[in-house]
Amino acid sequence: MSVTAILGVDVSKSYRYDLVLSSISLKVARGECYTLLGANGSGKTTLLRLFATLLAPTAGTIEIEGHHSLTQKPEARAHLFFIGHASHLYDDLTAIENIRFALGMRGISVGPSEIKQAIDVMGMGPFGRYKTRHLSKGMQKRLAFAKALLARPRVLLLDEPYASLDEPGIETVNACLKDFLAQGAAVLMSSHDRAHAAAVTHRAGVLRQHLLQEISPSDLPRSYALF
Amino acid sequence: MRSFNLLYWILWKDILSEIRNRAALVSMLFFALNIILIFSVSFSMSDLEEMMPGLIWTAFGFTAVIGLSTSFVAETHNQCLEYYRLLPTPKGMIYLGKLCGNLLFIVIVGLALLPLFVLFLGLHVRQLSWLIAVVFLGALGLANLGTLFSALTVNLRAREVLFPLLLLPLSVPVFIGATEATAGILRGAPQAAYRHWLDLLGIFDLIFTLLSFWMFEWILDE
Amino acid sequence: MSGLILKLRRFEGVTGFLAFLLMTCGLYLGLVTSPPDFYQGEIVRIMYIHVPFAKTALLAYTLLFAGSLWYLWRRDPVVDNLCHAAAGISFFFTLIALITGAIWAKPAWGTWWSWDPKLTAFLILWMVEAGYLMLRTMIEDAEQRARYAAIVAIVGFVDLPIVYLAAEWWRTLHQPLSISTRGLSLSREMLTPLALMSIGLDVLLMYLLMIRTQMLYLEHLFAAKQGRLLAHRLRDRHEATDPNE
Repeated sequence: MSVTAILGVDVSKSYRYDLVLSSISLKVARGECYTLLGANGSGKTTLLRLFATLLAPTAGTIEIEGHHSLTQKPEARAHLFFIGHASHLYDDLTAIENIRFALGMRGISVGPSEIKQAIDVMGMGPFGRYKTRHLSKGMQKRLAFAKALLARPRVLLLDEPYASLDEPGIETVNACLKDFLAQGAAVLMSSHDRAHAAAVTHRAGVLRQHLLQEISPSDLPRSYALF
Repeated sequence: MRSFNLLYWILWKDILSEIRNRAALVSMLFFALNIILIFSVSFSMSDLEEMMPGLIWTAFGFTAVIGLSTSFVAETHNQCLEYYRLLPTPKGMIYLGKLCGNLLFIVIVGLALLPLFVLFLGLHVRQLSWLIAVVFLGALGLANLGTLFSALTVNLRAREVLFPLLLLPLSVPVFIGATEATAGILRGAPQAAYRHWLDLLGIFDLIFTLLSFWMFEWILDE
Repeated sequence: MSGLILKLRRFEGVTGFLAFLLMTCGLYLGLVTSPPDFYQGEIVRIMYIHVPFAKTALLAYTLLFAGSLWYLWRRDPVVDNLCHAAAGISFFFTLIALITGAIWAKPAWGTWWSWDPKLTAFLILWMVEAGYLMLRTMIEDAEQRARYAAIVAIVGFVDLPIVYLAAEWWRTLHQPLSISTRGLSLSREMLTPLALMSIGLDVLLMYLLMIRTQMLYLEHLFAAKQGRLLAHRLRDRHEATDPNE
């Protein structure tokens, strides 16, 4: 019996005059990876931000590891880690210092050897000592995953994780995700890169016209026709 | 206590960033120098003695506003405020961390202002320790509401206009109290004469630091 | 609370009429029949406008403060509309109080402005309200706007007594009692129109609040309804076409 880590029931979101999502229901169990697909502007980022408790749904409920996203925010947030388009980095601090800050703020103290290990796993090489204003977007993405590795969250929310990464980078990320899943974390991600997502995902769904339609993972490479 | 974590890390990050790029301190110091220059050409030496407390606090006040209005700007560069929102702990400690950082920078500038006043405007310093105390109390009075409003206005279009518009009217008691206390100190008056002004500053600082600490939670999140 | 506020709509007409009645009587008694002051002469009549507007502006700001606290506690959008309405009305009333205060001060004290603690506090109040209203125009998200505005309103209200205190201490130090409103002794014939105007203006405040809050609430409803209508229309369209492709 699988435990539900991410739960969304009839989630709707609309801004003043625009409807973005209409009654979306979604369940992701522990150790499971779900990929969201959809055209640009279909609402993937909005849905991920709703699950990350950065937005409040207009209707419906969201639960992270059993904690309600509106009434039990601190507990829900303690379990999740969100990697979106923003890097959350301070330009004057080095990569290593940024990691120490990000984890320190979450109450996790990490030693230099652990940080070094995470940086090496993500293949950042000598860039750990560089100020982050000098890092390329791809390197910043690797840095974000290094933070996630050390934060060890139960729920990982990723908005286009493969964006800006080179081929070895994507392979490394997939290896990390498989590691996370093996330890019982749940992953909800959005991607345009269907081939690479297919390698790691268990389930997938397409966001189209404000609704979510589940598809089989074997359909992934062929889902070009769907939208 | 667990959440002192946040205070420590924010302070660490702000001090480290400031040491590395010195943007806030340098701009504040040069702004202060500019104001002092304008004062020294605008007033004759005989006027200055009487107006000294007002001039000190005008220079200090506007310099502090310059520094405070940008205190959260660095957090907007890579959406760092979003990361704060994602933290599971209560956000009040983030406010205190920012407040301590801002206070440190403003007090440094304030203490640098005094020798500049001695040099260019002929200030006769008396009872230096009490003067420093007033600088500290006044700085805290500006910084507590300043940090709150800085966070409030950081993402808005007309931040540079709205921030002083919100902060300065509300800081009037700080200016009145600080100017009168400074006047008393520089005159060499007995402590009893200006003690109530220090009390005013102290009460203002206490009330608004607590109020801002409480309300900061609502700026970052619902 | 929103239910209560909206139910009060019924009394709109009565409130408006009552305000009109009280103010007309007050103005007539004050401007026409009441005696001129011994020292200040006819100019004292401006008191019948200045003082009630000042008092009512303060009442409006108190409502704004209470509403802001309530909003942060209960997140009721109607209460936010009430706050917005109260701020706008208070802004104008404070402005009128300041202007009539200056018009009164010139012949009475010989100067357009004095740092009298009351006037200083009202000037600060006016600036805080200007900041509040400006802030409201700059935030697009309704929920965030309500929250941020509430914060500013609360901080401003807590500060007002401190501003008054500081100005009072400053005045006793630098401007001893030669300039003071306390020099006015009010006879019964002056007190009646003053009271009538004060109460009348308070009732007018209630009336204006009712109308304006309702207006703002309708705007809010309109936006919410649009979102929901779109959702319904989409569901209907989706059910009509077969989703299985």
